[in-house]
Amino acid sequence: MDAPVVDVRALRKVYRVTERETGLAATFRSLVKRRYREVLAVDGITFHIDPGEVVGFLGPNGAGKTTTLKMLSGLLHPTGGEATVLGHVPWRRDGTFLRGMTLLMGNRSQLVWDIPAADSFLVLKEIYAIPDAQYRRTLDELTDLLELQPLLHKPVRGLSLGERMKVEFAAGLLHSPGVAFLDEPTLGLDISMQGRIRRFVAEYNQRSGATILLTSHYMDDVVALCRRVIVIHRGVLLYDGALADLAERMAPYKRITVTLRGAVGDLAAFGEVVTSNDNVATIHVPRAQAGDRTARLVRELGDQLADISVEDPPIEEVIDKVFASERPLAEATA
Amino acid sequence: MIRIYRQLLVAQIQAAAQYRIQALLWMLFSIIRPVIFLAAWTAVATAQGGSVGGYSASDFAAYYIALTLVNHLCIAWNSFEFEFEIRQGRLSPKLLRPLHPLHYSVVENLVFKITTLLPLCLVLVIVALTFNVRWAGEWWHLVIFVPSIILAAALSFMLGWVVATATFWLQRINTVNTLFQRTAFIFAGQIAPLALMPEWMQVVSYALPFAYILAVPAEILRGGVTLERCLLYLVGQAVWLGLTIIAFRFAWRAGLREYSAVGA
Repeated sequence: MDAPVVDVRALRKVYRVTERETGLAATFRSLVKRRYREVLAVDGITFHIDPGEVVGFLGPNGAGKTTTLKMLSGLLHPTGGEATVLGHVPWRRDGTFLRGMTLLMGNRSQLVWDIPAADSFLVLKEIYAIPDAQYRRTLDELTDLLELQPLLHKPVRGLSLGERMKVEFAAGLLHSPGVAFLDEPTLGLDISMQGRIRRFVAEYNQRSGATILLTSHYMDDVVALCRRVIVIHRGVLLYDGALADLAERMAPYKRITVTLRGAVGDLAAFGEVVTSNDNVATIHVPRAQAGDRTARLVRELGDQLADISVEDPPIEEVIDKVFASERPLAEATA
Repeated sequence: MIRIYRQLLVAQIQAAAQYRIQALLWMLFSIIRPVIFLAAWTAVATAQGGSVGGYSASDFAAYYIALTLVNHLCIAWNSFEFEFEIRQGRLSPKLLRPLHPLHYSVVENLVFKITTLLPLCLVLVIVALTFNVRWAGEWWHLVIFVPSIILAAALSFMLGWVVATATFWLQRINTVNTLFQRTAFIFAGQIAPLALMPEWMQVVSYALPFAYILAVPAEILRGGVTLERCLLYLVGQAVWLGLTIIAFRFAWRAGLREYSAVGA
C-alpha cells in the first residue's frame, strides 16, 4: 500500500493573543501591562490521507480547519506534533515540497491585479520551472476545464468574483501539484459557479490523481466531492470516516415526507412528526423500520396520499449533530 | 533564476506602466528636500565669503546633486510595504511559492529606479546649471562609484528588510520605520556633508550603516575623497552589507515562526 500523502500526528497549535477589558481605565492599564491569553486552535489531531483521496475537512467557524491547512501548507509553525506532506515537513518549506502542493483560499488572490492572468501564469511558469510543453498542455487543459479563454487577457482587477476564482484555480494548479488544499473554494460564488467549480475539482482529481483536502461550509460541495470526511470542532477531531457512515451514526433515522390531498391529521403512530404544515408532514422513523413504516403509511392513508418520499436526513443536520455532541466518535476511523 | 527575473521584470513593468504618473511624482518629491538643503547651504556659503568648512557653493551643488542621484538609486520602501503585505494577506501566497518573497521586491525596486532614472537626470541637469555645479573628481572616482552604489543600494534594501521583519512581532511598524528614517536623516549626510558635522557625529555616522548608503557614494561621486579613503569606504560598505544579510537571515527565520498568517 502507498505511504500516506498527508500524515498528521498529534498536531497542535496555540495562538497567544492580547486581551483587555473594555473601557478607558482598562485601555490605560493595557498600555502599562499587557495581558495575554492562549487560544488553543488545534488540539492534537491525528489523521492521514492516501494518494488520490478527496477528503472533506468540516467544522464550524473557529474549529481549526484553516489553521490546520496553513500548517500543512507550511505557512504556520505548529506548537506541537508532527506532520508530513509528500514526505516533507511542511513548515521547513523546502523547494520540492512547495513545488508539489498548492493552497487555494476562496476570496484570496495570489495574482497580480494590474496585469492579465496570462502574464501572471508566465511568471508562475518560471517560478515553478515548468517545462514549455508541460506548461502548454496544463494550461490548455485548465482553460478547457474552467472555460478560461475569454478571461486570460483581461487584467485580473477587471474580473468578477467567479471569474477571478477560476483564474485563481488555474494559477494554483499550473504546476500540477500532487496535493491541493482547498479552503472554502466556492465561498461567495453563485449556485451555477459553485457547480462548475465542483465539477472541475472532481474532474481534476480524476485526471491528475491529485490528493485533495477540502474545507467548505456548503454541504453540497462535500456531498458532491468527498466520500470521506474529517470533522473537527474546537480543535479536536470528532470524526474521521465515510460520509455515508456519518449519517448513519449521527442520525439513525430516515426522513419520510408525505403530501396529502387534504389536511394532515395525527400521524404520531407512524413515527416522530417533525414538521406538519397544511397538507405536508415530515416524519422521522428508525432506519431499520423505514420500509415497514412507509408501507404502512401507503396502506393506511390510501387515497388521501398524494406523494411520499423517503430520504436520509440532510447532511447539514447530521453535521450539526456531530458539532453538538462535542465529543469524538472514537470508534470511527478512516 | 535569470528566467524568473526576466519574467518578473516584464510583469512588473506592465504593472508599473499603469501607475507611471505616481512613480514620476514620487521621484520629484524625493528631489525637494536635497534642493532645499542645497539652497540653504549655498546661501550660507555666499554669506561667509564663498565657502563653509572648505565647501564652496559649487561643491555643495555637486554634493547635493550626487546625493539626490544616490538617494534615488538606493531608495528602498520594502519596510513600509511589508506591513501591508501581511495585513492584506499578500505575503502568504508568496510564501507558498518556491521563491523567496525578497525577489519580488528586488524587481519592483529595480523597475521604479530604471523607469524614473531618465527624468530624474533631466531634472538634475537643470539643478546643476542653476547652481553652477563644479565636479572635482578624477576618472577613478567614477569607476569606484559603480561598486560603491551597488553596495549602497544592496545595503539599503537589506536594511529595509531587517526593519520589515519587525512586523512579525509588532504587527504595525510605522513608528519603527519613522525612527529608522529619522536616524538615517541625521547620520546619512542629508543635513550637510558629514565633514561639516561635529567630530563625534562623524564618528557615530561611520560606525552606523547609514553613511555607507548615502554620504559615502555621494562623496565618491563628487570626487571629494582620496583613493585610499574610497577603498576604506568600500570595505565599510561590504562589512555592513554582510552583517545586514546575516541579521536578515536570523530575523526572517525567527519571524516566520511567529507568523500567524491572519487574514490570509
